[in-house]
Amino acid sequence: MEEVSKFKVASSALDAELARLDPDHDRPREVIATKGLNLKFSDKTVLSGVNMNFERGTITALIGPTGSGKSTFLRTINRMNDRVAGFRHEGDVLLDGESIWGDQQDLLTIRRRVGMLFQRPNPFPMSIRDNVVAGVKAHGIARGKQLDVVAEMRLTEVGLWDAVKDRLGDSPYRLSGGQQQLLCLARALAVGPEVLLLDEPTSALDPISTEAVERMLRAMTPALTLIVVTHNLGQARRISDQTMFFFNGQLVEHGATSQVFQNPREIDTERYVQGLMG
Amino acid sequence: MSGDNPTPIETSSPVASAIRRGPRPRRIAASLHVEDRLWQVATRVAVTVPLLGLLFVIIILAVKAWPAIKVNGPGYLTSSVWQVGNFYGAVQHTHGVAHPQGAVYGAWPLIAGTLESSLIAIIIAVPVSIGTAFALTERLPKWIAQPLGFFVEILAGIPSVVIGLWGVLVLGPFLAQHVYPVIANHVPNVPVLRYFRGSVGYGEGLLTSGLVLSFMIVPIIASTTRDLFLQVPVLPKEGAEALGFTDAEVARRVTLPWVRSGIVGATMLGLGRAIGETIAIAMVSGSVLGTVAPNIYGTMTTIAATIVSQLDSSLTDGTGFALSNLAEAGLLLALISILVNLAARSIVRHTGKLMAPVGRG
Repeated sequence: MEEVSKFKVASSALDAELARLDPDHDRPREVIATKGLNLKFSDKTVLSGVNMNFERGTITALIGPTGSGKSTFLRTINRMNDRVAGFRHEGDVLLDGESIWGDQQDLLTIRRRVGMLFQRPNPFPMSIRDNVVAGVKAHGIARGKQLDVVAEMRLTEVGLWDAVKDRLGDSPYRLSGGQQQLLCLARALAVGPEVLLLDEPTSALDPISTEAVERMLRAMTPALTLIVVTHNLGQARRISDQTMFFFNGQLVEHGATSQVFQNPREIDTERYVQGLMG
Repeated sequence: MSGDNPTPIETSSPVASAIRRGPRPRRIAASLHVEDRLWQVATRVAVTVPLLGLLFVIIILAVKAWPAIKVNGPGYLTSSVWQVGNFYGAVQHTHGVAHPQGAVYGAWPLIAGTLESSLIAIIIAVPVSIGTAFALTERLPKWIAQPLGFFVEILAGIPSVVIGLWGVLVLGPFLAQHVYPVIANHVPNVPVLRYFRGSVGYGEGLLTSGLVLSFMIVPIIASTTRDLFLQVPVLPKEGAEALGFTDAEVARRVTLPWVRSGIVGATMLGLGRAIGETIAIAMVSGSVLGTVAPNIYGTMTTIAATIVSQLDSSLTDGTGFALSNLAEAGLLLALISILVNLAARSIVRHTGKLMAPVGRG
């Protein structure tokens, strides 16, 4: 008994020491938090009353039928909806405890800190190498010869380097869909985001490419926080720690992924995760 | 009969024989209906007519121009003298071609004028058009962009004679009084810029011609470019925004490169129009034969403007030599236009090579 408690004391001291070494230790645990968020297009409310914390280093899956408001929610977090005609929001979204709409916030900086991967691969009309470093260049993170290093590092990170190292100057549009999506992932990672928003990132990909992307996503935590919209329930179960279920413009349920899938609290959630509702 | 077949099908039944024959092969060539045949003929005619038309025009021009080509030789392209000779004097013969005494033709000023004025027009029109297209598609709210876009298209439909008249009555004199002198007096006396110094004239000349031409081709390039911009898929643009690009960076790094080859094509369309534009230039160029504009304000002429302004007097040349020279000028213009088109094609192919985003995005 004595031994065990001694060990416990030691381990908690170690934990404290480790926690102090964590570069994020004095920042809020939840990198993104929403407070009473209501989203509207003109007068139509698409999502209401969302209070949610996204903890640093976790993967959260956003599931729900089409039109349930989950994509709108996702696109609000990096302020992609701000430009949409008629878009209005009530409540707030906090990034590291500060409102993303705050006066002190710079939109371009928010976009650098909160990256996004889209439904379909969307490489820019420039060479493969230039695609990877496009954001890095725009934000002035690196330049000149450093860009080549960044390109190699990020392409290696997403497992694309060997496939493209001999054709870095080629058009990205000749790559396969899966490779293009990995290229877009490399591009998003290159600017060093803290959060990555993924809007059905594998919906246009074949199963093998999907697996490659999912493997990548799992490997990116806990360095990154991921929020993934997906229609693929299997994907949500495989990769996420937390799951949010949206239905009819409401956040119906959220919790640990295993709980939401195996032991849902709400009848709608149960019907959806069992495939009874599409 | 069918020794290998263990179960011979009863051939007398029509169903059985049909089964044995299998489905009737639908070979296009073998089973042409009247309608199909008509369609084939119609499309063949349709594709042949323009081709024959072009060939016909070129051949007729070449035949008409042949006497002039024989007499002028290759020097026609480099000589600056344009003298029709004495229509009422003695008739001379050179290489068996009859022509008035003292008739000497050189097209260099026409060629230079055509290329210079078109170049000025393109240099002004391309940035203006791209800016207009951006404003119409990205910057302005819809309720103002739509009527404005309509206005740009209407501008393309204004007859060139009207624009020429405005150029010679309003624009030229205004520029010569208020704008050209300012430029001419403030530009330093260094190579290239020296071309902007000197006498500004009365508003008829090279720069006025280029400006008038740019007025005429901006609507063409701008409306084409606007349509191109509208076709750029939203996903790459959103991707750039989500990466933290400014609007200007999205435009420069995604939207413009996406349609680059299309813009080159639109520019060449405008260039083709500028090279061939006739009546407006005949009105604002000053129509001097035989000299290349000494500075950017200088009077000049183009191939097309010369043809229209010289046609009347050429008809009075009894030997037909003056007319033959105009035909040679026309042939030259047609060749330049074809060359511009070919160049456009090769540029489009070349710029499209690396980045053509075909079907994806």
